[in-house]
Amino acid sequence: MMKNRLMDLLKNVSAYTVICLYSIFAIFPLIWLVIISFKSDTQMYNTTFIFTPTLDNYKIVLFEGADYIQAFINNIIVSGGAVLLSLLVGVPAAYAFARYNFAKKEDLAFTILSFKFAPEILVILPLFMIYQKIGLYDTYFGLIWVYQLITLPLLIWVLRGYFEEISVEVEQAANLDGYPWYSVFWKILVPLIKPGLVASSLLAFIFAWNSFTFPLLLSGFQIETVTVAALRYIGSDTVHYGQMAVAAAVAALPEVVLALIIQKHLVRGLSFGAVKG
Amino acid sequence: MAKLLLKNLYKRYENKKRKKGEALNAFAVNNFSLECEDGEFIGILGPSGCGKTTTLRMIAGLEDITDGEIIIGDTVVNNVAPHNRGIGLAFEDYALYPPLTVYENIAFNLRAKHVKNEIIKAEINRIAPLLKVDDLLHMKPGKLSGGQKQRVNIARAIVRKPQLLLLDEPMSHLDGKMRQVLRTEIKRLHNEIMCTTIIVTHDQLEAMSLVDKLAIMKDGELQQYGTPFEVYDNPVNEFVAGFIGEPPMNILTVEVQKKESSFFFKFQDANILIPVPQRFYSVVQDGMLVRLGVRPTDVLIVGEDSKGSDVSISVFENLGEERKISFRVGEGFLTLITSDDKRYKQGDIVKLEVKSEKTHLFDVKTGEKIIAQ
Repeated sequence: MMKNRLMDLLKNVSAYTVICLYSIFAIFPLIWLVIISFKSDTQMYNTTFIFTPTLDNYKIVLFEGADYIQAFINNIIVSGGAVLLSLLVGVPAAYAFARYNFAKKEDLAFTILSFKFAPEILVILPLFMIYQKIGLYDTYFGLIWVYQLITLPLLIWVLRGYFEEISVEVEQAANLDGYPWYSVFWKILVPLIKPGLVASSLLAFIFAWNSFTFPLLLSGFQIETVTVAALRYIGSDTVHYGQMAVAAAVAALPEVVLALIIQKHLVRGLSFGAVKG
Repeated sequence: MAKLLLKNLYKRYENKKRKKGEALNAFAVNNFSLECEDGEFIGILGPSGCGKTTTLRMIAGLEDITDGEIIIGDTVVNNVAPHNRGIGLAFEDYALYPPLTVYENIAFNLRAKHVKNEIIKAEINRIAPLLKVDDLLHMKPGKLSGGQKQRVNIARAIVRKPQLLLLDEPMSHLDGKMRQVLRTEIKRLHNEIMCTTIIVTHDQLEAMSLVDKLAIMKDGELQQYGTPFEVYDNPVNEFVAGFIGEPPMNILTVEVQKKESSFFFKFQDANILIPVPQRFYSVVQDGMLVRLGVRPTDVLIVGEDSKGSDVSISVFENLGEERKISFRVGEGFLTLITSDDKRYKQGDIVKLEVKSEKTHLFDVKTGEKIIAQ
């Protein structure tokens, strides 16, 4: 009895130790980032944890130069727009891949997935030239369009699995009940794919939000995103790490907030099918 | 309620990946005709893949038909949309709407027809007790057991007051006890609403106990259509004979032997002789091979002073209320079912007799029944 208790205690202690170590490992870069954001440039290299905190970096990034706020808004527009467009195209596409048999279906599905494989740097030069020619360079739509390479495959592949899991008989039952296809879609199918829809949309949003290569080369000063705007704090003679840290922390904020709000859906949405026999 | 007429129905699934010169797919349903009277309970029975569910789905309008006619009431419904055919269909996998409560699942069809809320409520209050789902109305399908889901499924099918109720293997996912309960309830429900009903099943006990008439299918073709008694007592071929009945009919190859002026069936590789009934005398001849069918209940163990053949018991199984005894005959077994309490063991020698008037003969090559003159 005593031995069992000791074993349980040991198990708990070792489990918590491992969890604590991992938490430190995972969270430390973020803590480091927040610490840097409160340091002045003069204390950046000669202090570690003991320093005089300042809000100067926040003032400079958020209030003195209005460009970063604009970049933030741009990011919301292009990332949100990209996810909306992907939903508009991806949900019917995922449904079609799940339900219909057509020639070269799997080849087409794989081609869409392969958009994710190609390194961005590989396609960026031809895209840059095409964008310059057709006037999509440095436009919201231009970035939304190219972000489909990031967001669309994810949405289609996650949602396809969800649609495949829904029995086709449910739709047939609704058809027998006399509902048109769009009612069936909204009343029955959308609630069933909601976890996948939320999870994949959020992930797609995060991937689009974090994208660097595409906005760096396909947008100029008009449609600058936060990832590109953070580069401004690297000067020719110095790097303003404090301001960069503020930019990064502010940029990460929407992702963290969104992830926390829809954490339940995120876990369920992405673990769906993982334990299928 | 309505009469149903299926006229020379064909269904062939298109092979979209068919290469040039490759043969077309075989017919999933091949020249299937059936007439079902108003208020009748019909069972379509057959092994998996025989085309019974395809037939049901064609009646419901969920599958296009390749050829033929489906007539419900007086209307040819070949080109009528599923929801306009006046059909209630209970799906095999329930197909309940997971986001909706049981109440809303049942009400779903009525809402599509813009029926007033008070009428919907009244209808559900009428139907729910019939199927014993009145306590479940607030629950969502995910919380229900298989039996409860199937009741809701059937409630949803009948709330629309269908002319024709179609049940697609309604008990296939239920355990033994629940099957029995639901079987009784389906029978009671049919007696109450007297709606023309078609049930598709591969379980012959289920079919035999429920229906007025049975359609037996094999490889897309109708083998026999008749009352359960007709099909059981007078199977038209070896397939139907072997498919109906539990345990199945003994069907073994025998040789006709003539001794003096009498004919006998001699089992191959076994010393069992059965006198050929007089009614078969005109169709048998000495040395002829036939397939002899006899139900396990028509094989008897008789007393020492009887004329039967001595055989050795191979397997003795006590099934509770009855006993199943098997005898090795060539590569197969001859099985009998008895309610006699006497216990036997392997190797016991008993005297066996067959109720010759209950035997069936089938052609060795075609499997068709040999009809006595």
